[in-house]
Amino acid sequence: MEGVWVFIGADMVIFCVLFQSFMQDRKKDPTLFEVSRHALNYNFGGVNTLILLTSSWFAALAVDAAKRNNLTEVPRYIAGAFACGLAFMISKAIEYTEKLDAGISVHTNDFFMWYFSLTGIHLLHVAVGNVLLTMVWLKARRSAFDSTHRAFLECVVSYWHMVDLLWIMLFPLLYLMR
Amino acid sequence: MATDADTGAAQSPPTPAGWDTRPGAVKAGPLAMDYRTWKMLGYCGLIFMATFIVFWGILAGNIPPFSPNADPMQVKQHYLDHALSIEIGMSVCLTVTSFYMAWGCAISQVMRRIEGQNSFLSNLEMMGATITAAPIMTACAIWLTAAHEVSNLSPETMHMLYWFGWLLIDLAYMVTSFQIAAISIVFMRDKREKPLVPSWVCWWGWVTFASFFPVCLIPFVTTGPFAFNGSFTFWIAFFTWFIWCPSLSYYVIKAVDRLKAEDAAAESGFGQPVTTH
Amino acid sequence: MTLLRNPATIVWLVLVLATSASTWLLSKDAFSPVVGTIGVFLIAAVKIRLVIMRFMEISHAPRPWRIYFEAWVVGATALILGFYLAS
Repeated sequence: MEGVWVFIGADMVIFCVLFQSFMQDRKKDPTLFEVSRHALNYNFGGVNTLILLTSSWFAALAVDAAKRNNLTEVPRYIAGAFACGLAFMISKAIEYTEKLDAGISVHTNDFFMWYFSLTGIHLLHVAVGNVLLTMVWLKARRSAFDSTHRAFLECVVSYWHMVDLLWIMLFPLLYLMR
Repeated sequence: MATDADTGAAQSPPTPAGWDTRPGAVKAGPLAMDYRTWKMLGYCGLIFMATFIVFWGILAGNIPPFSPNADPMQVKQHYLDHALSIEIGMSVCLTVTSFYMAWGCAISQVMRRIEGQNSFLSNLEMMGATITAAPIMTACAIWLTAAHEVSNLSPETMHMLYWFGWLLIDLAYMVTSFQIAAISIVFMRDKREKPLVPSWVCWWGWVTFASFFPVCLIPFVTTGPFAFNGSFTFWIAFFTWFIWCPSLSYYVIKAVDRLKAEDAAAESGFGQPVTTH
Repeated sequence: MTLLRNPATIVWLVLVLATSASTWLLSKDAFSPVVGTIGVFLIAAVKIRLVIMRFMEISHAPRPWRIYFEAWVVGATALILGFYLAS
């Protein structure tokens, strides 16, 4: 299970490559990027950040509960993290629909290609994370995780924290950089 | 986990008189193992990768690929300028891609030692490696044809052939994904104290697996990170795969020696069958 | 309540405050674009480091991993701000 850090580390490097690519494209036409950015609603982005931070908090509390052998709390906190992940996905769906209804799509211009691509790949990570959290929740309900048996729980939670921290960088990159 | 067919042989006492003890020798008997050929197949992945990098990547000019944004005239001109090197590159690749299939057979045989009797993931791996060769060979044949026929074809047809090859070689990724997933799953189940393939290689396999998905965007963009020459779908996706192959090869080749030692210990030691866990 | 005294909760509160500052304060016109943007990304870097060290518990991890993750935060932030200032 310790190999999960290889996966997390590699995923973070891959996103770095994407950040670099984005900034390179932005450098070619900063005005276009700035103008397009105004079509985004940073309130959505800010609230989404708060949602993911809260889900990370729940996930951290779940691991903490397992360490303290508080077996009944573990599934509850995982459910909290899952609920936040779901809320994030719904929020993103609303945001995407808003854009598409306004005629903005991945083909509109380079900025929006990046907006949909970056947030899309991130959203996929969130979706996968939610599936993993469900698996963890089912096991936690059967008291599978305690202070000596928490490797899988910690792996999934670590992955989830990675999903959170990637969004912490993505949000200002797309919504706040001016 | 079931004991595998090979160690099942340990249950009947060996006949020392029938043994040829020279290194790498094929032992007589129904369950003799040809470790040397097994190991040679383990090297085939490296042969494929190295040849592919040189002949497809460098000679045929695919590092990075000619722009997906090019119009038909530009594609035809590109092929007119580089016809010979593309023809040579693609011809060699068409031949050498089969080494990837051979490599898959070496890996699956190692996997079988861990999976035991119900070796369906080993089968899946072998099929994945074999079928991976198909889109690669076909794409190379398409580009070879384009280069060969460039003076007879219209720019539109050249453009079509160029895209045909790229769409095929990239979007058929799921076959390779199945191969990688099967490998990662089985080797992560290895219960040896020192696994035959370390977990970081398995996890790098998952990284590679994940990196293939954005390739689905290739038909819809001609510039940016998700075009077939883009920072993600070309550089990252190929990079992760090209790291995974040699890493896995190293441990698969070593595994053959380790398994040979395990088999020898099982046969010589106390008539006890060696289980894989 | 043990929840409030849990270190994870303290970290979460800090993160929420930092996010609110970035989103609804630094992005306002009161700050020049350059100052605002640099501030937002430095705050993001601090937030990410908090998640890595406190939530992911990398502060307890073997040294090579700590170095890697610290380097990622510095590298990613420097990369983005570097390109930003060069634009």
